[in-house]
Amino acid sequence: MIKFDNVSKRYADGQEALSDISFEVSRGEFAFITGHSGAGKSTLLNLILAIQTPSSGQLIANGVNLNRVSTSQIARHRRQIGTVFQNHQLLHDRSVYDNVALPLEICGYQPNDAARRVRAALDKVGLLNKEKSFPDALSGGEQQRVGIARAVVNRPSIILADEPTGNLDPALSAEVMKIFQQFQSVGVCLLVASHDAALIERLNCRTIVLEGGKLLADQKPRPQA
Amino acid sequence: MNATKRRNDNANQPRVKRNTRAGQSASFVDLVKLHRRIARDSASRLLQTPASSLVTLFVVAVALLLPALLFGLNSNLASLLAGFQNSAQVTLYLQDSVSEADGEEISNDLLTRNDIENAYYVSPSQALDEFGASSGLEDLLTEMTANPLPGAIVLTPSDVSSVAVDELARQLQKLSQVDVVQIDSLWLQRLAAISNLVSAIGRVLAVIVILGLFFVVGNTIKLAIENRKAEILVIKLVGGSDMYAARPFLYTGLLYGLGGGVLATLLQGIVLATFNSNLEVLMRLYESDFQLRGFGLMSSLLIIVAGATVGWTAALMASLRHIRAINP
Repeated sequence: MIKFDNVSKRYADGQEALSDISFEVSRGEFAFITGHSGAGKSTLLNLILAIQTPSSGQLIANGVNLNRVSTSQIARHRRQIGTVFQNHQLLHDRSVYDNVALPLEICGYQPNDAARRVRAALDKVGLLNKEKSFPDALSGGEQQRVGIARAVVNRPSIILADEPTGNLDPALSAEVMKIFQQFQSVGVCLLVASHDAALIERLNCRTIVLEGGKLLADQKPRPQA
Repeated sequence: MNATKRRNDNANQPRVKRNTRAGQSASFVDLVKLHRRIARDSASRLLQTPASSLVTLFVVAVALLLPALLFGLNSNLASLLAGFQNSAQVTLYLQDSVSEADGEEISNDLLTRNDIENAYYVSPSQALDEFGASSGLEDLLTEMTANPLPGAIVLTPSDVSSVAVDELARQLQKLSQVDVVQIDSLWLQRLAAISNLVSAIGRVLAVIVILGLFFVVGNTIKLAIENRKAEILVIKLVGGSDMYAARPFLYTGLLYGLGGGVLATLLQGIVLATFNSNLEVLMRLYESDFQLRGFGLMSSLLIIVAGATVGWTAALMASLRHIRAINP
């Protein structure tokens, strides 16, 4: 589903954010990306979202060659990916409902169909009673959950999440992970950047460790007892 | 129906594969509803900043008004000319040697030509009587021993365009009995030439105005896009195309064009009413009841449609250019 093949990303100033990264995440796989800040986690997610393009190597996600994509291909590609952003990226002049409905509106869903999906997604993150609120009236954790609802509402084939549990307490974090695992069980490919070591340890998922832009380790889940 | 039902069944179930082609699952009615919502949203945004929206609207309206007024005045001039054109006359002054009987005969011969609507002969003595009556010099004229006036044929061409009248005059000049051909509508031709010049100026002005409108609307849209940069960024991040992000701005441009067009037709009504009250005084002196006419329904619609088209197109060009530049 996502395949990095000797991918490097150098910025114009010569700084190398990622160097020679190779790994593959397949359908129905749930992988954490971890490492210190500046290790290249966000760059890696940006490459998959086609926000940046690789300097060298080949990157294929969801069958799209991300080395060479047109503007319209990028838009279509992003519609297949649900992304939870670290800074939420919500529209502050639209209600929670409208924020979550945005990907469906872009894809041209029928309003009735969209309404059902939006409510199902909001229900999953426990915000059904806040659908008329505006993001500014919500706590950081609630805003993050709106972002998660928006990421899953379109039933994407890939879910990317950048520190999705950063603002959440352990109970809510566990809840969000349960939602992610539900999607994993139906074949969605999940890539979650996090440095919540306890959470990663508890979930026992594949863990890709980055350090200084290099792939330090690719730990498979421990065999279940 | 089946497709809808299937979607309903698994609405709450995550699913990997689905068709994400935009517009595929929404019906035409839904699309209309969506566009109506976006249009309403664009309109309410304009109302949020009433002062600056109004200024832009006025600029658009005045820009549309200038060429529209020029065209309007010119069409009034044209209709005024058309009223006179029916009286376009050509006078053939005959040689002194032509007798009254011959003159009558030539006049009757001319009537058979199909490029001549009407022709009548004026004998030298008739001409003298008419001249005496219209000049008030009858007493003086009776003392004259010889009549200095020639016989003449006054004719009305069937085609009153200046080209046709010129051609007719040229042909009639060749007749041996004809001394001088005089076209009485020379001043009319001059006026028509002025009218053509005015309409040419109007066309040039219209082109300049359209370019100006592109600049004004484009710049307004550019500012609106700057203000909503964060929103466009989010839309792009979740897979919205440039065209999707541009939609609200297209409606903004359309509304400016439409509103400007409507305002322009209202303003021209005011302008013409002002002119008419002055014109009435002038025309009374000329014993005419001529009045400036408004643009009429079709012309007003044309201004509004032109405004809307320019507004929408300018918004399309500006928004695609500026939205393309916004990237995460």
